[in-house]
Order: sequence, then C-alpha cells, then structure tokens
Amino acid sequence: MAVSGFEGFEKRLELHFFGDDPVRDNNMGLRLLEFESLDEVLHAVQCTVVSALGNQYLDAYVLSESSLFVYPTKIIIKTCGTTQLLKSIRPLVRLANLMGFDLVGCKYTRGSFIFPLSQPFPHTSFKEEVIYIENCLPACLAYRKASIMLSKLSPSHAWHVFTASDHDDHRLSALDCLSSSSYTVEVCMTELDRTLANKIFRRPGDGKSGDAAGREMTEITGIGGINPNALICDFAFDPCGYSMNGMHGDKYSTIHVTPEEGYSYASFECVGSMYNREDDVVEVLKKVAQVFRPGAMSVAISCRSSIPRDVWTRVTNGLETLGLTCRSCTMDYFPAAGTIVFQTFTSRGK
Amino acid sequence: MAEGQVNGCHTVEAWSDQLQKANDAKKLMVVDFTASWCAPCRFIAPFLAELAKKLPDVIFVKVDVDELKSVAADWAVEAMPTFMLLKEGKIVDKVVGAKKDELQQTIAKHLASA
Repeated sequence: MAVSGFEGFEKRLELHFFGDDPVRDNNMGLRLLEFESLDEVLHAVQCTVVSALGNQYLDAYVLSESSLFVYPTKIIIKTCGTTQLLKSIRPLVRLANLMGFDLVGCKYTRGSFIFPLSQPFPHTSFKEEVIYIENCLPACLAYRKASIMLSKLSPSHAWHVFTASDHDDHRLSALDCLSSSSYTVEVCMTELDRTLANKIFRRPGDGKSGDAAGREMTEITGIGGINPNALICDFAFDPCGYSMNGMHGDKYSTIHVTPEEGYSYASFECVGSMYNREDDVVEVLKKVAQVFRPGAMSVAISCRSSIPRDVWTRVTNGLETLGLTCRSCTMDYFPAAGTIVFQTFTSRGK
Repeated sequence: MAEGQVNGCHTVEAWSDQLQKANDAKKLMVVDFTASWCAPCRFIAPFLAELAKKLPDVIFVKVDVDELKSVAADWAVEAMPTFMLLKEGKIVDKVVGAKKDELQQTIAKHLASA
C-alpha cells in the first residue's frame, strides 16, 4: 500500500433548483448559464474543462478532475484528487439566483478516501464537510440529514451522505423532468484487475492526442460496450488515467479510472428509471464488474421514492455470478430527498 | 467569405453558396454546428477562432441549428457542437463534441491528404 498517491475516490455534489417561470427560455434553465461563469466556478474548485457536449436534455463536461452535468434545474459535479468541491456551492447558488432560480435541494455523497490525511479542509472529516455545507445553504432547506452508511467490510469502506431539502413536494415534482422513479447508481471499485489497469497507461511516443488515446482505451477495455447507444466523450491523461462521459437521451453515465497499483480505483455512475425495462441496473452493474474485475466494489443506489427489495437482491445475485460476494447491505431514508441502498462486495478470487 | 475567421451562415442560400465556393476552390471546409445557447459550443469557440487564423487554407463555417433547422436535420446533428469536415462537397469526417485536440488532429489529417 503506497504511502500516498492520487485519490481516485470522488466527492459528489448534486444541486436542485426551482425557477418560478420554467417555460421561459425554452425550458433551458441553468443550461443558459454563461460558460465563462461556469469556468470561473470550476477554477475556484481547481479544475478545468477538458471536453464538452450538449444534447436536447443536458450539457456534459469532462473535467481535469472528473465531471460536470448541467440540466435545466439540476447541476451535478463530481471531482476527485484533492479538489475542494464544496467551494462551488456558494457561487453556483449565486449564479442561479441571478437567473431567477432558488436552491431547493442539495445532496453530497462520497465513499471513504484511500488517503484521508492528504485531503484539505473541510474534507479532513465528514463532520467538517457537513458544517461547511450547512453554512452555504439557505435556511429554507429545513429537512437535513447527515449519515455514514457503514459496511461490515471495514470502517474504511463507508458511504457518506448529506442531504438538505425544501419540503415542498409540489415544487419538487414539477421541476424534476425525470419521474420520481428515476434512480442514480454510484459504483466505487478498488484493486482493479492489473491487465485492465495496464490499458489505462499512455504508451510513450504514441503521437496520439488525449482524445484519441481515450477513444482507444474505451474500445480496448470494453468500456464502450457498457452502453453502446451512448454518445461518448472520453479522454486519456498523461502518463495514466481515464475519464469518460456518456450521453443517451436525458441520461448520463460517467467513468473515471486511476490505474496505479496500490491505489487503483475506478468509478461508474449512471441514471435510469426504476420501471423502464431497458434500464436494467443489474445488467449494467454486471458489465461494469466484468470490465474492471475489482477486488472490492461498492454500489449505492439512490431514488426519490422507495427502492423495492427485489432491486438489491437482484444486484446481489447478479454480482454473485461474477464471483463478487455481498458483504453488507444497508438502507437509509433521507427526508424529502429519498432512499439510498448501499452494498459492498469483495471478489472471492482475491 | 473571409479567410482566417469563422464565417456565420444565416440563410439556406448563404449555406449553399459557401458549399459551392469551397467545392470550387477545392479547399477543406469545417462546419461548426452550434447554437447561441450552447455552453459547450462557447467553450471551444475561442480555440476554433485561433485555428481559423492559423489555417487560412481551410474554410471555417458556423451554422446555428435554430436558424438553419433544415440543414441541421439533413445532416443528422444530434448533439453539439458537431464539426463536419467536407472536401469537394462530400463529408470526409466529423468530430462530435468540443474536443480541442481531436478537432485539430482531424483537420491536420485531411489537410495532409490533399
């Protein structure tokens, strides 16, 4: 185990807004935020835009340290390394306010850092993070909860969640273009298969751009097969590392890989609809596990409404067929924000 | 149509005109499908302008998908920005997304194979 290395585990922030006139601006909402303003916020968080793509529903940005997604009334930022993600809350809320949008929901999630001592304040502890976030939020977000979802694996594999909501359900359902049955899956994998990990290193003198090398990695790793219908923006970092955003209609997916031995890490995140047969979360998770063959894997599924028991039992059974044993399964409910199921798995072969 | 800059196309006639001129001059043409509200397009706009300055032998054209809906539909533009590369009236390549290095290398590849 290295003394210190690149921190793959991300911090993720999801901000929900409500504007009193959603039809104005062709329902584009926050997508009309000036790119220059977004760039300034990212600068404050110490990341830059690597590539960008927009379709009818959302704008997706690959960043130097992960990803940013902008929907008309929702912003999702996910950053790794030692970035100070929470510094983006105040400027984003201010920019949204200038456009006539109020913050009505905030969700912060992360796993457990591999190198917790390398993190800057307030990421030195979950408690500090929560205090910091709370200081950035308007008082009307009255329904708040901070929770550390533990796993029997070890205290170093926990899922940290903070949610804050304005409890006006009317407004929430009006602004959310995805129905309340939509879910988000956040997967964290460590101890990656070494053959796979070695594909995430640039070959010296290959003469390729980061974009071209990224596309090659998408193909040779099998990442491209996880959702073959998605429009992909991929990038390979020098000397190693990989990021991609996938876009398919109103849904995004995103993968980030830190391949170095001793602290290898890969994340996968996507959204889907609970009752849409095409979005089979189990099939997607199996494909992801088959690509990365991790030694340990955690899966957090969040949904605005409740999560049926059969979802997590099918996840357990599905991953079991790939040699991944379920070590823990916990569920927690967050007022006016929804349910989260957190499961951890380890590979029997390691 | 000016060299060294990105030319905006606001009508179907102007569009057909640009296509013809590029075809006659046997120059590589890069079409940027964009929109005024597209933030990802604004990310790459300065870089595109720089490229246009550096490559006067390439014709750079900007098409707003709202202004020229029929053209965007004909060319099946699903996401933005989309860059189409044309030679002698035919699409030789495309880049989907604001990807600076890929755009630069793709243009260089088709310039070299003139």
